[in-house]
Amino acid sequence: MTLPRRVPLGAALRYRGGGPMWAWILHRISGLGMILFIAGHVLAGFGIQQLGGDWAIWYNTIYESLYFQLFIYFCVIFHAVNGARIIILDTWPALIKFQREFIWLEWAIVLPVYALTAWIMIQRSLGG
Amino acid sequence: MQVTLKIFRYNPETDKKPHYETYKVEAEPTDRVLDLLEKVKGEQDGTLTFRRSCAHGVCGSDAMRINGMNRLACKVLVKDLGTDHITIEPLLGLPTVKDLVVDMEPFFEHYRSVKPFFINNDPPPQKERLQSPEERARFDDTTKCILCAACTTSCPSFWLDGQYVGPAAIVNAHRFIFDSRDQGAEERLKILADQFGVFRCHTIFNCTLACPREIQITKAIGEVRKAIATGRLD
Repeated sequence: MTLPRRVPLGAALRYRGGGPMWAWILHRISGLGMILFIAGHVLAGFGIQQLGGDWAIWYNTIYESLYFQLFIYFCVIFHAVNGARIIILDTWPALIKFQREFIWLEWAIVLPVYALTAWIMIQRSLGG
Repeated sequence: MQVTLKIFRYNPETDKKPHYETYKVEAEPTDRVLDLLEKVKGEQDGTLTFRRSCAHGVCGSDAMRINGMNRLACKVLVKDLGTDHITIEPLLGLPTVKDLVVDMEPFFEHYRSVKPFFINNDPPPQKERLQSPEERARFDDTTKCILCAACTTSCPSFWLDGQYVGPAAIVNAHRFIFDSRDQGAEERLKILADQFGVFRCHTIFNCTLACPREIQITKAIGEVRKAIATGRLD
């Protein structure tokens, strides 16, 4: 009997597709992160204003924590810039020959913008 | 040098589950991975099963995962891998028949679905159907496909859903869609506009990186997608 065509997650992640494949995976993770953020935003407000209680305060503590905010900010900035890269390449296929340069450009935008903002967020958090 | 080969093994007649076996072989840095597989089969384990035919990168029979990436075993030299530990596995996303041999039928079914043949209902001219060098150059890149399936089986969209027509089928559709002598473009674009057609591509580039013929596959998919969106073949 032949083995079925099922592709296990581990085997898929071990495939050495390189930068563009990891950008695609991060795009999915950051998309889920933003869903988490929006759900968290609604739940945190609803919990505090309508329900009160310990669980709402606990949930709000996580939602407003620096770590969560740093994670969400990375999701937003990466998803936006990577999405722009994909839109540009899909709209102008002739530019696809520069796809490696586009990946470098993407990180050249994401990393400094994220680092600068994260630095400000951390400074303000430490400063109270 | 001594090379350690870790090879995916599955015998449907004796094994319930696949496993890996390790072989040590003497090799030159300029040996191809196919040479090492032949050495194992010839000298250590005659039951090892893999496809090969021309052994010169033309027939596309020996596409497999070599150190985690789809390649032709006959085109990869040991020195190109930069290690003396080589893991060899069958292509992902197609049923494994035995060891490194996969069932290619689902792949060819998608290939046939895009009508990969010349369509022209005009009466044939006395001599050949003329085409300018520029018109020929328009689809030159996609004529190079050898149907090895390295691209389609490197695509995460195909891994997730085997109904996706896949990069190879789109490449072969592109070869005729942009051929000035062909009259079947509209028909093929309609097929590829389907929910399992070109719009399943997420511009991941695994296909382009895996192609042993260095076809700009993502670009070809982008051109087909643009032709569907704009209704123009320019």
